[in-house]
Amino acid sequence: MFGLIGHSTSFQDARRKAMELGYDHIAEGDLDVWCTAPPQLVEHVEVVSPLGKKIEGAYIDSCFVPEMLSRFKTARRKVLNAMELAQKKGINITALGGFTSIIFENFNLLQHKHVRNTTLEWERFTTGNTHTAWVICRQLEINAPLIGLDLSKARVAVVGATGDIGSAVCRWLSQRTGVAELLLVARQQQPLLDLQQELGGGRILGLEKALSEADIVVWVASMPKTLDINSSQIRRPCLMIDGGYPKNLDEKFSGSGVHVLKGGIVEFFEDIGWNMMELAEMENPKRQMFACFAEAMLLEFEDFHTNFSWGRNNITLEKMDFIGQASIKHGFSALSLNSQAQAKVA
Amino acid sequence: MVKVSGIAHYMNRSMTVLEASELEVIDCPSATSNELPDFTTEAYKDAYSRINAIVIEGEQEAHDNYVAIGTLLPDQAEELKKLARMEIKHMKGFTACGKNLGVVADMPFAKAFYDKLHGNFQEALAEGKLTTCFLIQAILIEAFAISAYHVYIRVADPFAKKITEGVVQDEYLHLNYGQEWLKANLDSCKKELIDANKANLPLIRSMLDQVAKDASTLHMDKEELMEEFMIAYQDSLTEIGLDNREIARMALAAVV
Repeated sequence: MFGLIGHSTSFQDARRKAMELGYDHIAEGDLDVWCTAPPQLVEHVEVVSPLGKKIEGAYIDSCFVPEMLSRFKTARRKVLNAMELAQKKGINITALGGFTSIIFENFNLLQHKHVRNTTLEWERFTTGNTHTAWVICRQLEINAPLIGLDLSKARVAVVGATGDIGSAVCRWLSQRTGVAELLLVARQQQPLLDLQQELGGGRILGLEKALSEADIVVWVASMPKTLDINSSQIRRPCLMIDGGYPKNLDEKFSGSGVHVLKGGIVEFFEDIGWNMMELAEMENPKRQMFACFAEAMLLEFEDFHTNFSWGRNNITLEKMDFIGQASIKHGFSALSLNSQAQAKVA
Repeated sequence: MVKVSGIAHYMNRSMTVLEASELEVIDCPSATSNELPDFTTEAYKDAYSRINAIVIEGEQEAHDNYVAIGTLLPDQAEELKKLARMEIKHMKGFTACGKNLGVVADMPFAKAFYDKLHGNFQEALAEGKLTTCFLIQAILIEAFAISAYHVYIRVADPFAKKITEGVVQDEYLHLNYGQEWLKANLDSCKKELIDANKANLPLIRSMLDQVAKDASTLHMDKEELMEEFMIAYQDSLTEIGLDNREIARMALAAVV
């Protein structure tokens, strides 16, 4: 069985969804009540791959909402409790979606292996980052030509280049895709220098400068609190892949010639009988999902029960190959500008 | 110019372009472990005299309640007595925890603390309402106790930590007899269960409120206590066969 740990995108949203699902006690509660709410296994689902292999899974809502980020003890408990529930339910491989894996890493939850009478088995969990990185690279390779960009001549800025996904994307682009130049953008200088050395190339730039030079921008980091971008300085055409969470770049960079694609999103080849992706505000919630969630499904399809994506900067090209091949084999495709446009029309 | 607002700072990690600018992520690895309180201060001992008493009295009441339930289920009386003996063993352990810190447990406070719940139990017992008795003892008091022990273990002195871990281990090892009975009789007892819950869950909530200040002196966070209780309560009701929506409706009594 595979598992997905997710959460609502806002407190207001969470209350509305809880009301719809019949969880009256928390729907009517204030944020303090939500802080004391246990994780909920809200849905079981069955998924069949194009090859006919059937797997079962469950969606767990951790009852975390982004408004709890400032309460680190609460956020920590929400993540650990959801993970404990997943393990207690006997789920073999669970993806940590949304803020779950971010909290896990930033609040250093590796040191909290014991939750009540449960000893968490890390091999049952994956961040899903390998699949997310692979999907973002595929999205770049497939969609750039669609808007008339020649990858061999294109400059690609990776914003958040030194992160787990960002560094994997850089590795792939420099060794597999053959882009003209990589522009490396991140907050801290030393990891950037280390990455540059590892890649044997790439130019380190500030965000604004990089944006004015890039034909393609991959966003895999959060932005500074207030960021003024002179949109007239953005090159046209420009492909922006929004690998952040939640996806909100399209509101910022509208305008002719700037194509914003939701990054790290995959589409299954047929409808899945679940309701939970509506919570994640997917445009086609019966088929679309975060690539990190899909990674748990792929590992279950492959009977590969291990913490495939774990820790930071462990994503190798070989692992991306493995998960990418599994992704195609089991009926997933990366969201493209075309499918995004179709969804909007529909 | 396009105005872009985002989260407080980069987190060097993907999936994090955040819109809501009021969010602040606190990167605070050193604060991720609970700091232990100073067990030797007067303030600690004063708070401990009440919390320790509640725990001792709770185990004593559990003993008495299981023996009393045995009078309604004569063929199960022996089994229930065994359970009751375990609770006495726990009571002795917690008594030792107080002694170890040089604290005299405030038993009159603890008696008053359980008074209403005790009264409701006795009333149900007199009327032969087995479901209500089990709901009070095997669901509510057990969940209250185990959740408090989980939180306490994280901040207890080394001696008490060891004792409490042993108690928690016992609780997980022995079959929750009441829970099993409710599960086996769910069809016929559901209505009484829901009514009894409505009458008694709010008491647990107010009991928690009552000890919140003392608990916080022991570094036991009220929010965490409540969450642990809800987890244990939900687990228990799931185990006896209620679905998520039914549990949600029952839990509502703790909120209003």
